[in-house]
Amino acid sequence: MGFELLQPRSLAEALEMKKSYGEEAKVLAGGTDFLVLLKDQKLKAEVVMSLRGIRELNFIRHEEGKGVTLGALATHGAVAASAIIRQRFPDLAEACAQVGAVQVQNLGTVGGNLCNASPAADAAPPLLLMDASLILASARGERRISIHDFFQGPRRTVLQADEILKEIFIPQIPGRRGATYLKLGRRKAMEIAIVGIGVAIHLNGSDQVVSDCRIALGSVAPTPLRARHGEEILRNQEIRDELIEEAAEVAAEEASPISDVRASREYRLDMIRVLCRRAIPAALASARGNKVEGLS
Amino acid sequence: MKRFVALKVNGEEYDIDIEPNRLLLHALREDVGLTGTKEGCSIGVCGACSVIVDGKLVSSCLTLALACQGKEITTIEGLAKDGRLHPLQQAFLEYGGFQCGVCTPGQIMAAKALLDANPNPTEEEVKEWMSGNLCRCTGYYKILEAVMAAAHNKISSDFQVKHERKTAKIQSLNVYKDS
Ligand SMILES: Cc1cc2nc3c(=O)[nH]c(=O)nc-3n(C[C@H](O)[C@H](O)[C@H](O)COP(=O)(O)OP(=O)(O)OC[C@H]3O[C@@H](n4cnc5c(N)ncnc54)[C@H](O)[C@@H]3O)c2cc1C
Ligand code: FES
Ligand code: FES
Repeated sequence: MGFELLQPRSLAEALEMKKSYGEEAKVLAGGTDFLVLLKDQKLKAEVVMSLRGIRELNFIRHEEGKGVTLGALATHGAVAASAIIRQRFPDLAEACAQVGAVQVQNLGTVGGNLCNASPAADAAPPLLLMDASLILASARGERRISIHDFFQGPRRTVLQADEILKEIFIPQIPGRRGATYLKLGRRKAMEIAIVGIGVAIHLNGSDQVVSDCRIALGSVAPTPLRARHGEEILRNQEIRDELIEEAAEVAAEEASPISDVRASREYRLDMIRVLCRRAIPAALASARGNKVEGLS
Repeated sequence: MKRFVALKVNGEEYDIDIEPNRLLLHALREDVGLTGTKEGCSIGVCGACSVIVDGKLVSSCLTLALACQGKEITTIEGLAKDGRLHPLQQAFLEYGGFQCGVCTPGQIMAAKALLDANPNPTEEEVKEWMSGNLCRCTGYYKILEAVMAAAHNKISSDFQVKHERKTAKIQSLNVYKDS
């Protein structure tokens, strides 16, 4: 299946092309999802617009007191290696380091991971924990939306026909943050998550009382999601084993996994509980060990 | 419609006309004519097609050739210099890091990218880094041994001389004569 390839050199040029071609021009970033879908004929494309030549979209920028911005072309490899991400957002670094293997991490972008909107996208749970926002650009202008409003279902997002994802903004979080991302797959590399869980714990002043707890789940519902009721159980509490147990139970109730080739619904529900029991103490330890205050 | 692209492979420029959907893998093998890079799964999972583009290890089956215009591409053919094998190539020979050889170019390119970034890796680091390179023959331990040997310079200095002498001797026996 041949196609015409558009290779814009700037964002402005890309947006103009998207304006004239609309839905017809399919966007290509790293290509690690796109080219496989094309090969399997699950995607048809007559016009492909590659973003690869747009230098201005390839960056990771930290602004003290504000947060970190990832350009749409920031790869999993670059994000996993970024010192600021590893220090402030270890859950995202861990997730990106678990995407495929080196060959895929060097091509695949975090932006493409989100736009592809797989329920199993590894970068999604950490970014949900961070209340990240996405800047969507078109020739009409830009809009900023919360990641919580981005996914509409498997492979469906709110991106309009003339829009592209320009950047991902991660706001700095007050207090000390500790977090982890745990992924269960059949093997360590090149494997889509059976269940992926991100947990973030925020401490403000006290080392004992958790000022905020956030839990995000991947691969267990039509879109990645936050387990808000589970979080509620730990918020403003001193963490005890009974509470972790309860939060894990409640988080599993918030999921609606399916049975598929990788695992059954029942197994996935069980694994949510198991991974919560592991991730919550790990996130707490990471928060206690983190001496960096989020807000200066 | 075919488009012109200049690919810089192992320091040499190749001008080729290709369809926009041509993968780097196929452009290298069929248009440039360097068949060292192998095709295994074609969907990014096996690592057989690994090459280095601008210093980064990537799967050439997940890369459009047109997107590589102006980039430095290194394939397995670019490792041996002046008739001398790259230490990794020699280590794979000396330590038996392959059997059928289909995965080997990808294994060696992955190992090269690792040693370029981290010249002194631990065994764990090698295993983690190479986890995207499948081998259906060796059981991996020989590959690991070969990479560690190359990293720690445990390859013999006279390997190539001996190897050449052996080859010459075999050839002098004339057993492979065309008849
Ligand atoms: C072998 C292998 C292993 C993998 N393992 C994992 C894994 O462990 N975990 C995981 O989560 N994923 C995995 N993936 C999937 C894939 O690598 C990731 O989802 C990756 O992040 C996709 O990014 P990309 O830049 O390659 O996107 P592309 O393939 O280029 O694009 C993906 C989709 O997003 C759209 N898109 C991309 N960028 C933009 C943009 N800026 N604006 C608008 N639309 C855009 C494209 O149109 C397309 O529909 C794997 C893939 C392979 C081949
Ligand atoms: S052929 Fe490219 S990874 Fe298998
Ligand atoms: S040597 Fe045969 S697949 Fe690795």
